[in-house]
Amino acid sequence: MSREGQKLDYAAAGGNGAGGVGIGVLSLDLLGQVLDRLREPRDRKACRLVSRAFERAEATHRRALRVLRREPLPRLLRAFPSLERLDLSACASLDDASLSAAIAAAGAGGLAGLRRVCLARASGVGWRGLEALVAACPRLEAVDLSHCVGAGDREVAALAAAAGLRELRLDKCLAVTDMGLAKVVVGCPRLEKLSVKWCREISDIGIDLLAKKCPELRSLNISYLKVGNGSLRSISTLEKLEELAMVGCSCIDDEGLELLSKGTDSLQSVDVSRCDHVTYQGLASLIDGRKFLQKLHAADCLHEIGQRFVSKLATLKETLTALKLDGLEVSDSLLQAIGEGCNKLVEIGLSKCSGVTDEGISSLVARCSDLRTIDLTCCNLITNNALDSIADNCKMLECLRLESCSLINEKGLERIANCCPNLKEIDLTDCGVNDAALQHLAKCSELRTLKLGLCSSISDKGIAFISSNCGNLVELDLYRCNSITDDGLAALVNGCKKIKLLNLCYCNKITDSGLGHLGSLEELTNLELRCLVRITGIGISSIATGCKSLIELDLKRCYSVDDAGLGALARNAFNLRQLTISYCQVTGLGLCHLLSSLRCLQDIKMVHLSWVSIEGFEIALRAACGRLKKLKMLNGLKTVLSPELLQMLHACGCRIRWVDKPLVYKDC
Amino acid sequence: MDRSQNHIHGQSAANFCYQFGSDNPLLGMGIQQQFAPFTSPFGASSSTNIPHMDWNPATMLDNLTFIEDKIRQVKDVIRTMVDNGGQLPCRQGDLTQQQQVVNADLTCLIVQLISTAGSLLPSLKNSSFLSQPPAGHMDTVNHVGSSSSFIPNATTISEENKEDMCSPEDYEELFKGFTDGAMEGGIEIDNVFVEEQDAKDGDEGGDASMDGENLPPGSYELLQLEKDEILAPHTHFCSICGKGFKRDANLRMHMRGHGDEYKSPAALAKPPRDASVEHELVKRYSCPFVGCKRNKLHKNFQPLKTILCVKNHYKRSHCEKSYTCSRCHTKKFSVMADLKTHEKHCGRDKWLCSCGTSFSRKDKLFAHVALFQGHTPALPADETKNSSDQISRVGSHQEPAKFPSSMGSSFMWGTSSSDDRGLDVKGLAGCSEDILSTGNFGSFNFSFGPADGFTGEPSGSSFSVLPPEHFQSAQKKGKN
Repeated sequence: MSREGQKLDYAAAGGNGAGGVGIGVLSLDLLGQVLDRLREPRDRKACRLVSRAFERAEATHRRALRVLRREPLPRLLRAFPSLERLDLSACASLDDASLSAAIAAAGAGGLAGLRRVCLARASGVGWRGLEALVAACPRLEAVDLSHCVGAGDREVAALAAAAGLRELRLDKCLAVTDMGLAKVVVGCPRLEKLSVKWCREISDIGIDLLAKKCPELRSLNISYLKVGNGSLRSISTLEKLEELAMVGCSCIDDEGLELLSKGTDSLQSVDVSRCDHVTYQGLASLIDGRKFLQKLHAADCLHEIGQRFVSKLATLKETLTALKLDGLEVSDSLLQAIGEGCNKLVEIGLSKCSGVTDEGISSLVARCSDLRTIDLTCCNLITNNALDSIADNCKMLECLRLESCSLINEKGLERIANCCPNLKEIDLTDCGVNDAALQHLAKCSELRTLKLGLCSSISDKGIAFISSNCGNLVELDLYRCNSITDDGLAALVNGCKKIKLLNLCYCNKITDSGLGHLGSLEELTNLELRCLVRITGIGISSIATGCKSLIELDLKRCYSVDDAGLGALARNAFNLRQLTISYCQVTGLGLCHLLSSLRCLQDIKMVHLSWVSIEGFEIALRAACGRLKKLKMLNGLKTVLSPELLQMLHACGCRIRWVDKPLVYKDC
Repeated sequence: MDRSQNHIHGQSAANFCYQFGSDNPLLGMGIQQQFAPFTSPFGASSSTNIPHMDWNPATMLDNLTFIEDKIRQVKDVIRTMVDNGGQLPCRQGDLTQQQQVVNADLTCLIVQLISTAGSLLPSLKNSSFLSQPPAGHMDTVNHVGSSSSFIPNATTISEENKEDMCSPEDYEELFKGFTDGAMEGGIEIDNVFVEEQDAKDGDEGGDASMDGENLPPGSYELLQLEKDEILAPHTHFCSICGKGFKRDANLRMHMRGHGDEYKSPAALAKPPRDASVEHELVKRYSCPFVGCKRNKLHKNFQPLKTILCVKNHYKRSHCEKSYTCSRCHTKKFSVMADLKTHEKHCGRDKWLCSCGTSFSRKDKLFAHVALFQGHTPALPADETKNSSDQISRVGSHQEPAKFPSSMGSSFMWGTSSSDDRGLDVKGLAGCSEDILSTGNFGSFNFSFGPADGFTGEPSGSSFSVLPPEHFQSAQKKGKN
């Protein structure tokens, strides 16, 4: 709990104890202001629990709500009448019936203030639920329907009734066609942000209508659509467009970019990554027309760069802040030209670029002192010299990705650590760094993300260095750092209490006592323990009881984990949403217990559970039916499970991935 | 075998080209005189120059005698083959040689037969046995009026060059020549078959601006067919039974029924284009309808390119539209192919606008929607029904969401209500034997089945099982 929270805690408790002279006398408005200043949801909860005044204040003041289960939804919507943002993306087993019922329970005007609704991955919600929602929320401005793979024209048409809609995300709503899009653009003419990424049925015709009907559009994502240059001609007529993403549009080529360049100067960000038919010539003509570009992402699409592009790039000297050229063959002279031409760069991406050398990097960074993000993933020619020049020039550096740069070592990292105090993220996966490097990096107290996968020489000592000074660490990746033992974990949890994501896959010296230490990480949300063959149900139960925030847990190939472990999860890990228990020694009983108890569980991978009978699967799945969104099971089960169960799962929006893998036990 | 045939073909090609050069009837003017120098091997000088549409019994008799002799010869050859085959296997070379000879003889026979029979054909037609326009009509056709007079010339095939006949190309040419010649007045020329394949050209294909070859008047031969010819259903006729066909290929298929001699690959092959055609003056056609832009009297006359163009143009522009679409019962066509094209799309993929207008194509609908404020595409109705079916099915399968307490307590796994005591170990142990045995699923079905609590809810009624009227009204609302 944060410090503000604790203070409030005392005040509330004292106030109530002293007979009404404390918190209770403050007006609800004031209390609401206090609550607004609390960032951590846990602190707010503590306040709510300890004082009725705070509870009342929160009831009237609460603006945002994230619901994890559908059962309390009606009560919550009634309790918080002034909600503006509602996040139902993690709400288990939400469907049309429950959503409509909750909306009805909130009563007329209960949701009148609601502006933003997130329904991402709510695959159980169809057009009836959306119709009810739109009808109840007259001020709706933003809807996120992404990854509702079953959503189609009818669902989108239901949204079209929200005339005030400004933002809409339809990523991967696979059944949406031009017709659905047309409904939306006609119904919501004030649309400012739209993402139709992966809606593969949408064609040039739909995009053309969009451009004609929604002149307010500022941000548009048409990634992975099968649209061609004609769409870009239509899009170029959008006078307010600032952001355009068209990743993986293989039907778009230089001609399209030429068409796009004929427009106003509003465009600031363009992403043409993975557009196979785009070359530097097209980008050059785009830059020629759009003179105020700030971000240009051209990852994995360019094969060569000509002088024309470089000279055009220099015309963006004053504006360009982000440039991504992943996968390009670069030369020192090109990097030098970029460095000289675009010295306002904040972000540069050179991931998987061949030909990146120390000289190139030093000439690039020499003039770009504002660089905060440098991605050098797989630029395996660079050495400590490159790190030295980065450290000397980019004092503001926040993110440095060096995966597979195996020529660097602790000396270079020492320089970085000394010169870049703002470093928040560093990726050293497969760099072969050692404990000494971590000792230097520990100076970066702002470090949030540290990736050390495949650095097998890192030992408990190195972890102890990190833990001693990096208290803000949120993500730690120790994939296959197999020298780490339980002592290392003990040291880690001593210093890094805020860790949310932890990867310990294949660190096979870890035992139950190590997991016992992890149990004190209350904020841990994602934990990967793949192939830790020594851990058993005891270790799992200490995690389950300790890590209350756990959302994702990977126990694949933890051969010693049994029903006791699942039982502990079933009793304690209420927030668990994703679980992998493939190859574990669990039985049908444990599985039934688990699936019937965990009300937030939506995604479970259970391949090769040899101890579970068919009946066990059947009953367990029936118990969790309606909640599950994703399943991974052996192909053999497809025929033996009852068809009505599969039909039911399908009807509830659950996707099943059937796999055919031989049963092989691996040690690591 | 191939080589020898090619060789033979080389020898004979010139011969046949010349002899059957008139197979293009449009060439036919004045050809009769050219034929005069030819002499029959049978010495019947009068028979070579048979005037148009009558036949000479003397020639016929000669021909039949020749055929008779020929058959006897072939019989002899085959008989020796049979005899040899009975004794010992003769050498491959001998056999093929003999077969070759037989083939050649048979081919010769066929030609003779056809020509003999073919000379009968005009008289048959004349007696209005076929639905061909009367011959006298042909005189009005400009330049068109070739005779079938070459047919008796087939009898000029002598015994000396009879082997030459075995070349398939030659035979085909001969055959083609025959069929075309047999069409007295032969309006259809040999390449019509090819053109009918790309019938989509239509008459517009003849548009001078379209085809790029803007021929100055006079640089082409202008033909004008009369209405009756244009509307004549068939243009290829069987020389044996008189059945008419639109396509030469179909006629050739038909001919198979008249005997094995028509079944040889050579007989069935497509006749090659006449090489001499290339040197011809380009032909263009005029529509017989006076006042039509395609009529030669029109001041901005634009000729039609092919006969097919003439036919389609005439039917589309100057005939009644007698074919009605069986789907929409409104669209009418005068050309059958147009109807079929329309029917392919009629009624399918109706793109509907909220204003009630329907479009055959999506882009047309979208252009309409873009143009008019407030109009929006209407989703197809059947989709609505399907998705509603699905949803109601889902609804009925699912446990009622809002009433955990009203859930059937028979199934405790699913009910796990607000607190974690929902599933205690005792209950688990108690159920486990039952649960893990097979015959127990009925009870679970039961617990998932009823959704009564759900329809009882006031709001629930709006989405649980909706009557169809609801959708319609909802849709209407959407339109407004």
